[in-house]
Amino acid sequence: MEYRSQKIAYWYFAAALPLFALQILLGLYLAYSYTFTVPQSIVNVFPFATARAMHTNLLVLWMLLGFMGGTYYIVPEETKSEIYSEKLAYFQLIALLATGVAALVGFLFGWTQGRPLLEIPRPLDLVVVVGALIFLFNVAITMIKANRWTAIQGTLLGGLVFLALLYLFGIPFYKNEVIDWYYWWWVIHLWVEGAWELVSAAIFAFVLMKLTGVERQVVEKWLYVEIGLFLFTGIAGTGHHYYWIGAPRYWLWIGGIFSALEPLPILLMLIDTMMHVKERKTPIVNRLTWTYAVGCAIYHMIGAGVWGFLHTLPQINYYTHGSQVTVSHGHLAFFGAYALLNLMTFYYAMPRIKGIEVYDDTRGKYGFWIMCVAMMLMGLFFGVAGVIQSYVERVLGMGFMTAQSYMRLWMGSVFFVGLTFLAGVLLTVTDLLTLRPAKVRA
Amino acid sequence: MTKKIAFWIFLLGTIASAVVFLAATWDTHKQVATLSNVDKLSDRVVAGKRAFEKYNCNDCHTILGFGAYYGPDLTRVVQRIGEDGVRFRIKDPEKAFAKSFRKMPDLRVADTEIADMVAFFKWVGEVNNNDWPPQDSKKRLSRGEQAMVATVGVSPGAAVFQAKGCMNCHALRGTGGTFAPALDTVGRRKTLKEIEQYVRDPKSVNPKAQMPPQKELSDRELEEVAKFLSSL
Repeated sequence: MEYRSQKIAYWYFAAALPLFALQILLGLYLAYSYTFTVPQSIVNVFPFATARAMHTNLLVLWMLLGFMGGTYYIVPEETKSEIYSEKLAYFQLIALLATGVAALVGFLFGWTQGRPLLEIPRPLDLVVVVGALIFLFNVAITMIKANRWTAIQGTLLGGLVFLALLYLFGIPFYKNEVIDWYYWWWVIHLWVEGAWELVSAAIFAFVLMKLTGVERQVVEKWLYVEIGLFLFTGIAGTGHHYYWIGAPRYWLWIGGIFSALEPLPILLMLIDTMMHVKERKTPIVNRLTWTYAVGCAIYHMIGAGVWGFLHTLPQINYYTHGSQVTVSHGHLAFFGAYALLNLMTFYYAMPRIKGIEVYDDTRGKYGFWIMCVAMMLMGLFFGVAGVIQSYVERVLGMGFMTAQSYMRLWMGSVFFVGLTFLAGVLLTVTDLLTLRPAKVRA
Repeated sequence: MTKKIAFWIFLLGTIASAVVFLAATWDTHKQVATLSNVDKLSDRVVAGKRAFEKYNCNDCHTILGFGAYYGPDLTRVVQRIGEDGVRFRIKDPEKAFAKSFRKMPDLRVADTEIADMVAFFKWVGEVNNNDWPPQDSKKRLSRGEQAMVATVGVSPGAAVFQAKGCMNCHALRGTGGTFAPALDTVGRRKTLKEIEQYVRDPKSVNPKAQMPPQKELSDRELEEVAKFLSSL
């Protein structure tokens, strides 16, 4: 750690980690509900819907905390200056956590906006907006005052501003369900295939540059090409969500063509990661951080690139839309693109903040491999369930619950592999929160 | 490639995609009124949407394919199970899903809210959304009917006639039920259009008719069965 204010990041990461574990716990309840019968008396007070709202909002919350922490870690080194106000940064962390907790408890009592992933009630949305403005202000002022612009800084700030702006489209009440979904995707899709990709590409480029010692010029050149392709394919690629919502027919063409190209930037990212690692100018210390970086690039490609491509064409999507195929893709993509990226950042930054030069990575290694293998299996089982659903319900027209009964075995398998995944997560979370120096080998 | 060229790739790529996207968005707004029948988007439908959101229905069910996948899609729920079917399931889920291995919560939804939600589902069901979901498509023959056409070599209409149980009441060449008239010469007495009208809603043609209206036939099935009968 070179700058005092980088320590802010530690608290963002430390807050994110338990939320990650809680997210998985709720996910297990969801998988359980798919497989076994939850009695009516429990369903009445704690419905699947509530657990799902918590599962997804926890995901967004811990990942945003990770991105913000990552930003607070990177910006001082990039701008060669301290963060403008540490107090504001801590205040914003507390405000965000308080909002998050209020929202989660609110869900338990049915306080919700009632729109998937955007369940946070409107009054709390305003607090989120204020928090985001404080964050952007703090980061932007730091960069402007330092006036040492780099492509990484620009991408990071651009991504964060874009992220905040898009959130606004999720706040109003839309009378027309078609328009509602139209703008819902401006938040959801343009976040994960736009703003979030910018933020994470910037973070990834920074970590890769620092790890491998490859020159800034080379890293930033690749960064431009990647984010250019991400936005070129991602913005108009939003159209793949407009096939069946009552939007004009040309969206089948726009969505089909642009989203077929969406794997390209991810592939490029994978190639340049491999190249940078191969042409590294520094020795590999803390092998686990490197493993995370490469693992993230590969998993990102599989989950977001390959799995997304598989059902993005309208002819296929007509049968798989809104089925467990989507769930399979969602899990692999979020884990690959964002969970691993955040964990990589944590493993890069947390030892440095704590002043540990070489950390003991025994537990962390097990954590990484258990999570990666378990998630891959979960993705496959969701996928099998999804294909069964698409065929039995959509092609054969045999009815929803008939299809669900054939899928039960696979959803049950998801539950049991999910238990393993939770073990991996707990191991990783504990490891990150209690990092210790590696024993010197004699 | 220099960093400068890379920057231009980024800038032009982003602008090009944004232009396509925003232009299509503008046009979508112009067309959406027709595609979603905005003239039928009444206050009641909007109230139904609010109730739908109040009870967080969308975190178990999909609508237009989006939401959670725990319960069935609700896009064409009124067409699939009827207004009464929707009311019964929301009002008394414990009874409605007594035999199901998956339960729906009893959220004590008020009767007026249920009525609003029915109006909302009815409106959504009429949105022109490229005929999704496939299981509720009006253009399809059931899988059993398709198999008969493909393997036994019967006409699609004959397959519908067989599969939908018309012969439980009607007979052809002495085979079938005796509860209703034999249909051996129905094609000479009625035109295709008349048959379609009768099958869909018998009472509209003959107020004393005892035949139940065949509401669950898809448009394609109705068309095919009428074609078959009118050829007799």
